[in-house]
Amino acid sequence: MEHLTILENKSIFIIREAYYRFKDIAMLWSVGKDSTTLLWLCRKAFFGQIPFPVIHIDTTYKFPEMYRFRDEYAKKWGLNLIVGRNEGQIEAAMGPGKGSKLDCCNELKTNALKETIGKYGLKALLLGIRRDEHGIRAKERVFSPRDENFKWDYENQPAELWDQYKSTAAEDNHFRVHPILHMTELDIWRYIKRENIPMSELYFSKEGKRYRSIGCAPCCSPIESNASSVDEIISELETSNTSERSGRAQDKEDAYTMQKLRSLGYM
Amino acid sequence: MEERSLHIVIVGHVDHGKSTLVGRLIYDTGSLPPEKLEEIRKASELQGRELEFAYIMDNLEEERKKGITIDIAHTFFMTKKRRYVIIDAPGHKEFLKNMISGTSQAEAALLLIDISQGIQEQTRRHCYILSLLGVRQIAVLVNKMDLAGYREESFNEIRNEIEILLKGLKIIPSYIIPVSASKGENVALRSEKLTWYKGPTILEALDNFDTLKIEDKGLRFAVQDLYTVVGEPVAVGRVEAGVLRKGQDVFVLPEKRKARITKIKKYLEEDMPFAATGDCVGIRIEGPGLKRGQILSDKILSTITDTIHANIFWMVDKEYRLGTPIIFRCATQEVKGSIRKILKRFDPASIEVVEHNATTIKPAEVAEVEIGLEAMVTVDNFFEVPELGRFVLEHAGYPVAGGIIV
Amino acid sequence: MIHMNDTPKLLVIGLDGVPYTLITDYIEKGYLPNFKKILSGGFRLHQMDASIPDVSSTSWTSFMTGVNPGEHGIFGFMDLRPGSYKIYFPSSRDIQAPTIWDIIGGTVNNRNSALYGAYKTSINNRLRSIVLNIPQTYPAAPMNGILTAGFVCPDLKKGTYPEYAYNYLESIGYVPDVDAAKAAEEPDLFLKEVFSALEKRALAYDYFFDNESWDLFIGVITETDRLHHFFFDAARDQGHKYHDLFVSFYKRIDEIIGRLFTRFMDKTGGMGLFMTMSDHGFTVLRQEVYINSLLREGGFLKINKQKEYFEQIDTGTKAFCMDPARIYVNLEGRYPLGSVSAPGKKDVIRELKDMLVSLADNNGNPVINTICENGDLYQGPSSDKGPDLVCLANDGFDLKGTLKKEEVFGKGQFSGMHTRYDAHCILPGNIEMGVRLHIENLAGIILNYFSKERTWNT
Repeated sequence: MEHLTILENKSIFIIREAYYRFKDIAMLWSVGKDSTTLLWLCRKAFFGQIPFPVIHIDTTYKFPEMYRFRDEYAKKWGLNLIVGRNEGQIEAAMGPGKGSKLDCCNELKTNALKETIGKYGLKALLLGIRRDEHGIRAKERVFSPRDENFKWDYENQPAELWDQYKSTAAEDNHFRVHPILHMTELDIWRYIKRENIPMSELYFSKEGKRYRSIGCAPCCSPIESNASSVDEIISELETSNTSERSGRAQDKEDAYTMQKLRSLGYM
Repeated sequence: MEERSLHIVIVGHVDHGKSTLVGRLIYDTGSLPPEKLEEIRKASELQGRELEFAYIMDNLEEERKKGITIDIAHTFFMTKKRRYVIIDAPGHKEFLKNMISGTSQAEAALLLIDISQGIQEQTRRHCYILSLLGVRQIAVLVNKMDLAGYREESFNEIRNEIEILLKGLKIIPSYIIPVSASKGENVALRSEKLTWYKGPTILEALDNFDTLKIEDKGLRFAVQDLYTVVGEPVAVGRVEAGVLRKGQDVFVLPEKRKARITKIKKYLEEDMPFAATGDCVGIRIEGPGLKRGQILSDKILSTITDTIHANIFWMVDKEYRLGTPIIFRCATQEVKGSIRKILKRFDPASIEVVEHNATTIKPAEVAEVEIGLEAMVTVDNFFEVPELGRFVLEHAGYPVAGGIIV
Repeated sequence: MIHMNDTPKLLVIGLDGVPYTLITDYIEKGYLPNFKKILSGGFRLHQMDASIPDVSSTSWTSFMTGVNPGEHGIFGFMDLRPGSYKIYFPSSRDIQAPTIWDIIGGTVNNRNSALYGAYKTSINNRLRSIVLNIPQTYPAAPMNGILTAGFVCPDLKKGTYPEYAYNYLESIGYVPDVDAAKAAEEPDLFLKEVFSALEKRALAYDYFFDNESWDLFIGVITETDRLHHFFFDAARDQGHKYHDLFVSFYKRIDEIIGRLFTRFMDKTGGMGLFMTMSDHGFTVLRQEVYINSLLREGGFLKINKQKEYFEQIDTGTKAFCMDPARIYVNLEGRYPLGSVSAPGKKDVIRELKDMLVSLADNNGNPVINTICENGDLYQGPSSDKGPDLVCLANDGFDLKGTLKKEEVFGKGQFSGMHTRYDAHCILPGNIEMGVRLHIENLAGIILNYFSKERTWNT
């Protein structure tokens, strides 16, 4: 069986298991390539009609292209789209210029998601994370329980054997389910090519630059690249050797350090 | 080159040279980009030491932490034959759950033993887990031969011990290879210091391993769920063995009812004449409605029973007491029941039976048990149809034990 | 006299921010029976000076390298990239001098320091160290032994060497730090974390103490500092809601130290060298003093609020301050918007001093005790990187380098502040320094112990 078909089957199996176990489930769609691929796989798993809501957490800082893409395909694919926003903080003008970037992410992403989960009483979320994205992901399970503070207790995760996933326990607030955990960045692009999945134009080179990952406009910077088609992106990935998020890693450590120092009255 | 990559796990005592071996495999197969290698070489030099292979692993780990993502190296390496993925499986006793979770995803295993340390508690425990997870493609690597002066007698001594240990577990290792991971002897290149050894190097051994082939077995299709698609009922599920064909007559197990496959579907694809092992598809049938947990089979080769006899390993910190209710999960089947008898329980580190006809199973122990179920299930020998031959026991929502049926 | 057959072992317990005066008080009150027992058995409690500035990152680096910041290069938790106003957080990679465990473990590599020079030839460099939770050691560099980094440690795995030690720590749920952000809003939860983090450390210390071979063992407890920042007012105030809890935390530390001491003496047949020490003292914080607000009032500092952190520094700035009270002259050539010429620097420094010296609170209490110039404090290749002035405050006034405040005086959620003069150290009574002890002296005492030419006998 073809490599991509093996990956697809695995993802679809997981999506169907998740839906069987949780009827109060939704999928998180950031409009980026990974979650759009996940969305595509969900459509395949349910023969075109996704039986649960698709959530877009809107910080109001996304690229205009992303909003357009979201609305176009939400309509085309008949999605039950929920837009989750932390209205209080948006009104209070929270943004990357105010407070730290970490605060901004916390309020506009994490807390917006918490609110949305609470509001719709969701018990599980499908997420498009990949194991090769980041070191800590190597420890992720396919079905990953979270407590009410979103804490992921990765030291004490339940075992996950073969394709038997843990899916019930009273003390867990909700489950994160990761149907594309086993795919790499390259797998994603090869699958996008094979399936002809529509992707945001931001990924394709304009004037020598393109985005390798997309999110909020103020916090994303494009890479130098002439890849203006899926094929060119694949060949760029096959030969290149820099990280998708390399620039973001140091930022992350610094953000942690700042937060720590601030909590002790420095800075 | 094969398109599929083979998932392997490297197990053994925590200090027996795992990092060094991984570094060596990545280095010797040229899976490390030259500039990366140069960077590591420089870093080693700065620290006033030779290129240490364990350091490659540490460095890559660090990189992975930082999020360098392209799937070169890291825990991937390549031979001419195929790509290998090394699954993260921590060695510490405290990480038994994670080690088991990782190992359950592996198709082959390398078991490392430091010749100067010999077989240790952890080595025994890991061997047991390999046997109970049904990992059958195993190469034992007797490491640090350089410290034993590359002597054949030393190797033979430990080889005998290993063979005895593994025989007790009904494991026949595919290879037992004398190596020195740090010096690169018998890893990718045949050692000139170990000329008395005639078998394969580690890479040759790996390339001899197979990805599991179950296509030529009889059909097993596990029903996962029922959907309504454009007003019509569709059963979705996965082909666990064999081939599912349109127009085929099948038995619905465990009820042994008959049905005919009238349609096989994937979204956005033409109706399929057949689905291969591993395919997740939707089907329509002629006959009574299906439900989750049923197995479709062309011939009745599986065992249909409400009593499971198996060896299980206990993964959680709480002990099991006879009679405590559990849920038996195998493929998409889920049935309530309890362990009816604990025929034997052992500590996998010592391989000695702790107790016959026990009433409890303690954490990290292995037990031979009889499980009584409230309904019939369809199971197979693990080595015939893996997916229907392995199961997980759940208690209070937590997976507490796993086992295979042989 | 040298006992060639000794297998010398040395145990250091670091207690972040534990003051000499508080130990003295608590011993008197009978809260610390084990300290008392140790001190009555031939050990002596010293009051000790911390580094300047007296922040943990600088002071601990002085401890572990035995040299002044002009040599080791760490002047605070935060610094500016050369030729810019961009902040960065110095890590272990920025430490210019070798640490004691590098010196005794043979991993000095190409670093050098005055202290290393003095011991280079006489030191046994094959010794193994266990180094737990010293601040400013992240990320963990390969060394002979085990190291897990203290504050700030964003990633325990990168903060621990080698990996199997990380695996162990991870398995017991060890945390590099408690979440101090909780302290104000959820004090009970925070205190619970402080206690539980202490237990994890004690557990890890015992584990490595027993299961590893080592010559030098350094275990640091940092929860004391966290507790002090938020609750130092509870230390002596018996009516304080958290007084009993505060004391019980010290009692628990006393037990842990008592046990480690006994086991260490058993292990070494009474021959090992035992010491405890802290990186600075603590006192009750009455007011925070925002030096940058003062500099703005005095016309030394111009701010562009459109930007972030120190990139806010605008044209016309003559001086600015970074935590805690490091004052830098905005010199031409050193900074992009430098406006003070080299010859003009002296005048700016004089003006700054005049203003700082006369700073007083509403009741007329003077804030600044001493103003030190770079040249008085720092010697070595990194001196130029250091501040031009450092202020030392009178007790109760916590000097701050934030740019966010408008007013000069304020009070936040903190009830404790660091002191430079009141760190502590417990040493065997026969080690006589002849002068008042300084944190930079301790590395020399440790190296001397492992040296072939040991000058005193334990």
